[in-house]
Amino acid sequence: MTGLAVLLPILAAFGACADLEESAPVPPDPPAVAATAGAPRLSVAQYRNAIRDLFGQGIAVPPALEPDTSLSGFVSIGSAQSAISPRGVEQYEEAAFKIAEQALATQTQRAALAPCKPAGPADDACARTFVTKLGRRVWRRPLDEEEVTKLAGVITGAQQARRLLRRSAFSIAALLQAPSFLYRPAFGEAGAGAQNKATSYEMASRLSFFLWNSTPDDALLDAAENGELTDAATVEREVVRMLDDPRARGGLRNFVTEYLRLDQLDQLSKDPTIFTYYSPDLGPAAREETLLDFEALVFDHDGDYRDLFTSRRTFVNAKLASMYQVAAPSPTGFGEVELPEDIPRRGLLGHVSFLSLYAHPTSSSATLRGKLVRTVLLCGDIPPPPVDVNTAIPEPSPDAATLRDRVKIHLEDPFCAGCHLRMDPIGLGLENFDGVGRFREKDNGAAIDASGELDGAAFNGPLELSLAIKNHPDLAACFTRRMYEYATSSTPDHQEDEVIAALAARFSASGHRVKELMRAIATSPGFRLVGEMP
Amino acid sequence: MKKRLDRRTVLRGLLGSAAIAIGLPTLEIFLNDTGTAYAGGDSFPKRFGIFFWGNGNLPDKWVPSGTGPEWEITEQLTPLAAFKEHLTVVSGMKVQTGNSVPHGSGPVGMLSGAPYPIGDETTFAVPSIDQVIASVIGTETRFKSLEVGVQPDGYGLSYNGPHSVNPPESSPAAMFNRVFGGGFVLPGSNATPDPRLDLRRSVLDVVKDDAERLKGRLGSADKARLEQHLEGVRGLEKQIKKLQENPPSLAACSVPGEPKAEYPDVDGRPPLSEISRAMADILAMALACDQTRVFSDWFSSPVNNTLYPDTTSGHHQLTHDEPDPQPQVNSIVLYTMTELAYLLGALHAVEEGESTLLEHTALLITSDTSYARAHSIEEYPILIAGSANGALKKGVHYRSPANENTSKVLLTLARAMGLSMESYGQGAGMVTSSLSAIEV
Repeated sequence: MTGLAVLLPILAAFGACADLEESAPVPPDPPAVAATAGAPRLSVAQYRNAIRDLFGQGIAVPPALEPDTSLSGFVSIGSAQSAISPRGVEQYEEAAFKIAEQALATQTQRAALAPCKPAGPADDACARTFVTKLGRRVWRRPLDEEEVTKLAGVITGAQQARRLLRRSAFSIAALLQAPSFLYRPAFGEAGAGAQNKATSYEMASRLSFFLWNSTPDDALLDAAENGELTDAATVEREVVRMLDDPRARGGLRNFVTEYLRLDQLDQLSKDPTIFTYYSPDLGPAAREETLLDFEALVFDHDGDYRDLFTSRRTFVNAKLASMYQVAAPSPTGFGEVELPEDIPRRGLLGHVSFLSLYAHPTSSSATLRGKLVRTVLLCGDIPPPPVDVNTAIPEPSPDAATLRDRVKIHLEDPFCAGCHLRMDPIGLGLENFDGVGRFREKDNGAAIDASGELDGAAFNGPLELSLAIKNHPDLAACFTRRMYEYATSSTPDHQEDEVIAALAARFSASGHRVKELMRAIATSPGFRLVGEMP
Repeated sequence: MKKRLDRRTVLRGLLGSAAIAIGLPTLEIFLNDTGTAYAGGDSFPKRFGIFFWGNGNLPDKWVPSGTGPEWEITEQLTPLAAFKEHLTVVSGMKVQTGNSVPHGSGPVGMLSGAPYPIGDETTFAVPSIDQVIASVIGTETRFKSLEVGVQPDGYGLSYNGPHSVNPPESSPAAMFNRVFGGGFVLPGSNATPDPRLDLRRSVLDVVKDDAERLKGRLGSADKARLEQHLEGVRGLEKQIKKLQENPPSLAACSVPGEPKAEYPDVDGRPPLSEISRAMADILAMALACDQTRVFSDWFSSPVNNTLYPDTTSGHHQLTHDEPDPQPQVNSIVLYTMTELAYLLGALHAVEEGESTLLEHTALLITSDTSYARAHSIEEYPILIAGSANGALKKGVHYRSPANENTSKVLLTLARAMGLSMESYGQGAGMVTSSLSAIEV
């Protein structure tokens, strides 16, 4: 076992695997097993994106929406399980009115939304046409007679406003506050039975929120109206179209943000007297670097996911450029750069985003960094820390200057080592980067020993560690699992393990192309089914 | 493994609050004709609050010697010395619901009396105490409850049930606008109601119909989530109704000064004191103006790694790494208690009849651990400020002889607020007797 684990990385490093993959047959379709997901509520990002796609770029969505709940590592999963607070409902109301007002602010906007010329403020027929047309876009399904009547009634009953189009703001506010906009339930066509197929409209929402993190466009809704999205071939056609759309970049960026918890970079807490490179703009800049790097890998190069860990290409602004010791590519924005050869900073684990987020306010943390790699990137399990334990580690001293010396007990005391051996050695391999991710050769004046072993693969320093992670047998399968969890807004059960294994085989056969993985998930038979309603 | 809660847990949690909180009808509790229903009480409404901070205390510097009315202020309680006669210290208590999740088991057990749900992430199996009380005494006011936060990236632990948190507002400006912004009617001002309010109501009718229809088709877990959403919509309707009324004048009510729009970090450290005081001033007036009767103030969160002034590391890291006797951790507790004292002062400054708002309040003050380095949940930090309008003793130290269940405090508080409950909590957290030593 250990021997194989050592051998595999070596083979992969010489490119032997890539040749094998090309001649391998395409793995079979994943089995048709549905995920169990409830009715996810739109995340803050989905709400914003939907408003942008429904009413246009210029609409300012009030920032105060209920914060997302992340469960099992994803907002996508939390959104299917958490309930909104009364305060959150208040915020939805406030946002809905502010958006409605802006959506109808100019003559051009009003004309674009109005399918008819109102004969007067009580023109019921025009009001009905208005809500029928806009309602289908906002609720992502056609409205029935009763719904149209109620919403049109809101318009014609709004006697405080003189003009019908002004009055229609109230129907927009109603559409936006309604659960039919805010939740994404899937009931399926049959309503019962072992294989309940999602309806075409439900598929339109599923595909667009997975691939775009936003609401379906008119083309997708038209396909749904024609009943085309229960059919594998049409779904395939739409998925290919959607992955070519710029909105797919937004979808991927959202996945990466949730996957690596990059939203937390807005609240980075670092002591500026210790980390002189720290300033409040560092966190957001670092996030942008990681997102641009993913985007380029997936959409510009359609490259191998695993290269993300060893690449010298990255994207920096002036701030990050000075930290990475490269020339700033542009005085203002971000640009692509090659990292210097002589500094062992490569790939994702060299990004300031990862290095600063998984660290303390005044120091690095081998445990936090190692835990992220072990649990999020490699899908390993680490139980929560025990209680009633003295967790103090010694202050730096001449005898124990480096973090490795100070956390010795983590790796030597059997009580600690059970878990910490699975985390700390990885993080100690990254000790050449301080708590904000700046390269260093010494810690408290002593040379850093960044050697270690990852599941049988020995490494010395961050370069070799990155290579060991790139070649880790669990890396790609774990990424597949994470993407599947995100796509289905659920934690998979054992039946779905087979689905994930089949998807992982496709991912691998494609040369670990993320776009191919997204396509494989979106077109898999299980993704067109509705599971048991929780 | 699936981390989803099963159907029955969800229903019990989300809908359970109604079942346990069967109290007296609100009017009977508050409209106290004779003024003698509670010893020493008057006809002003009772208020309930929580003040919570993260990462615990240092019990050696916290627990007073001497019990009953004879106790001395200790080092960590020094900032509260001016309020000693309004403060009850409860020590020697233990969260009995288990300690499987550091910083999680403690506050969930303390605030709900029920165990931390196994295999789940930060959540509550049943509502937290503030929501149990709010479901009875929060029905008549514009807001059922208000939640504020101080630590900028912090979170709160006010829960309606599993995965149903009431996130605190941590921007004083947003909090001010929510309560005193557009549409606020100063009690007794005879203002003309905003004509838009009726339109908002008609919009909510459509929203409610849509929610009801959807709810009817969903599975039971999602149904409970939709019901929670509807609860929010009904809350909004109540707010609109309140804004259309002309409430009677309240002597102590006035619009507080408007806070700053933002409170940027100073040297990488959030100005917690400034934020906390702005929030305290808003809270005191929200209560004085009877906009709500239940609040929670989440000063800082469990595991927070905030950089406090004059400290060399984040708070959580210090609790683990700083050698005993942990002078920096101590300074953070003192900082927190100083801000608590400001809140108590703000409540005490509001005169209500012969008494003050603080006296009409019962404020539960607690944290997520006692000694944070060991994630200990014995010798739990518990203070109660105010007497719930005479229902609780004041200025005493109750020292538990034998690790009594912290749920006893919850039962005492619930009863003091007028809820008639036979027991409190679930599983190992359940108690059938309260702390009579601190009750009047």
